[in-house]
Amino acid sequence: MNTAIVETIAVTREVAWLPWAVSYFFLIGLSYGAFLLSLPGVLLRRPGWGGISRLALLGALVCGLTAPVALLADLHQPGRFWHFYVHFTPSSWMSWGAFFIPVYLGGLMLYAWLAFRPLLAEHGRSDGRMAGFARLIAYGGHDSRKALVGAAVVAFVGAALVALYTGAELMVVRARPLWHTPLLPLQFVVTAFAGAVGLTLLFHRFGPARDDRNATTRLARVLAASQVVALAVGAVWLALGLTGASPVHAEALAQVAPSASWQLTAVWAVAATVITLLLAWQRPGSGLLIGLLALHSAWMMRWTVFIGGQEIPKTGAGFYSYQLPLGPEGLTGIVGTAGLWVFLLVLLTTLLPFARLSAERPTAN
Amino acid sequence: MKPFENDPDARPCDSSRRAFLRGLPALTAAAAVAPAVAAADSPRSAQRWGMLVDVRKCIGCQACTVACIQENAVPEGSFRTVVTTYSVELTDQQQPAGTYVLPRLCNHCDDPPCVPVCPVGATFKREDGMVLVDGDRCVGCAYCVQACPYDARFINHDTHTADKCTFCAHRVDAGLLPACVETCVGGARVFGDLNDAQGELRRRIDAAEAEGALKVLKPEQRTAPQVFYVGLDPRFEGKVDGQARLWRPRASQV
Repeated sequence: MNTAIVETIAVTREVAWLPWAVSYFFLIGLSYGAFLLSLPGVLLRRPGWGGISRLALLGALVCGLTAPVALLADLHQPGRFWHFYVHFTPSSWMSWGAFFIPVYLGGLMLYAWLAFRPLLAEHGRSDGRMAGFARLIAYGGHDSRKALVGAAVVAFVGAALVALYTGAELMVVRARPLWHTPLLPLQFVVTAFAGAVGLTLLFHRFGPARDDRNATTRLARVLAASQVVALAVGAVWLALGLTGASPVHAEALAQVAPSASWQLTAVWAVAATVITLLLAWQRPGSGLLIGLLALHSAWMMRWTVFIGGQEIPKTGAGFYSYQLPLGPEGLTGIVGTAGLWVFLLVLLTTLLPFARLSAERPTAN
Repeated sequence: MKPFENDPDARPCDSSRRAFLRGLPALTAAAAVAPAVAAADSPRSAQRWGMLVDVRKCIGCQACTVACIQENAVPEGSFRTVVTTYSVELTDQQQPAGTYVLPRLCNHCDDPPCVPVCPVGATFKREDGMVLVDGDRCVGCAYCVQACPYDARFINHDTHTADKCTFCAHRVDAGLLPACVETCVGGARVFGDLNDAQGELRRRIDAAEAEGALKVLKPEQRTAPQVFYVGLDPRFEGKVDGQARLWRPRASQV
């Protein structure tokens, strides 16, 4: 007996995690990814990594400071954010996240301050804009290696916890098969790191050291490696779904595979990753293009998972349709977040001009 | 009175409709003592509220949908309960398409996935089994909305907090039936105390179970729903495999 079922009356549930959430996960991912990229040059002081890592640290700061604003805006009762801190609920990853974010951002800001103190003092001695303020916050401008290591450890632990909770928060949602896959947290981390490399490439491209092909090539190689990992994880995801070796992956695949728009999304995502890989490998000088591609992939992955995932009804037939609203709950929210990001970038690069950040400097231990 | 305010002594001892109404005069006034949060803080309850939906008796009139909206001031475009309706055609037989109706609401799960994810403990399960939201504590993060396997939750755009069916806790605590049960034309919804062996709900559930006809939605989710179904076609137990409707209500269109 074959049946054809047509839904005639049912409830359409709205997208409840809005583009604000996409912005948050995108920015916090870029932040912890860029923080990791800052370690070789700033902390480990590897030759040739100084400029790259300082630019990455700038990216980590700008994205890290913007992200919580987007997260706050995604609450429908943002004024009650303090409830997170007075009603701790250990069974909820989101509740843990409320405590992980300050650990990460506190560690990151301390680490960045300690790393940038000499540069701030340098700016303070110049006639540049806000030199007085730079001199003030440089607080002597000492280069304290031990304190830097300590702050880096705190930031690293915080970054790991943020990466863990942002992935686990979605992975535990059994009601959404697309989210309920063990590989999702890993996919978030890989694409976040790739996006951070992309952002650093962009900063590098617009800085005065843009002609430093060694730095571009180094970043392109890292990006290529990240794309290989992304493709490998994606292949494992698909294989687990197709073979049925993992029922949760098979269920996730079954929900989206028949949809033409999801097929297009998958082809697009794979093509973008492959093109980024090929360009980064074969033409490492195309820093601007591969940087933008990597950022695009990081955003697209999150948009697809969050918004696309919520377009799949849990009981109803077919898919819900989502159209990006123009107001704060949609486009204006995304643009507003981007505006805050730009403001912070302008503010920080006024104190720490790109030229100072990207220049290779002799290490002082 | 807030929906989560309860006094177990104030509840009716028998919850079949007639017994329910008979018991009304014996009710005491509900004490207004709100639990700080969660069922763990509530006094231990002798009742265990549940519902049986006999799909065979539902005529799809949506009286329950309207009664719920009226009773609970559900905002336009949102629904705590609805009778989902489907056109079903047998493609290999020559007969007109039929209609299948399936009332849906919060399943008040015994193991509710919405509760552990709530980051502030605003969603909780009472000792009597009702899964409720403390609207004063809820931050509107919508994590519970994501975690519910039944799409039973939504963000209320008037209160900016998570919203869902409460089994009309405010009515039940006052000795009344939920609005949807009270208004059901076909008697398809039976509400009552699962612990009451002589109650109509328990007897009908036991009878259906004996016949192997008792079902719940999405049993594979292992949420132990306390809303049970009789006459539930397996094709509608989980996510329905069919064509989505063309018309979708929006607040601006209602």
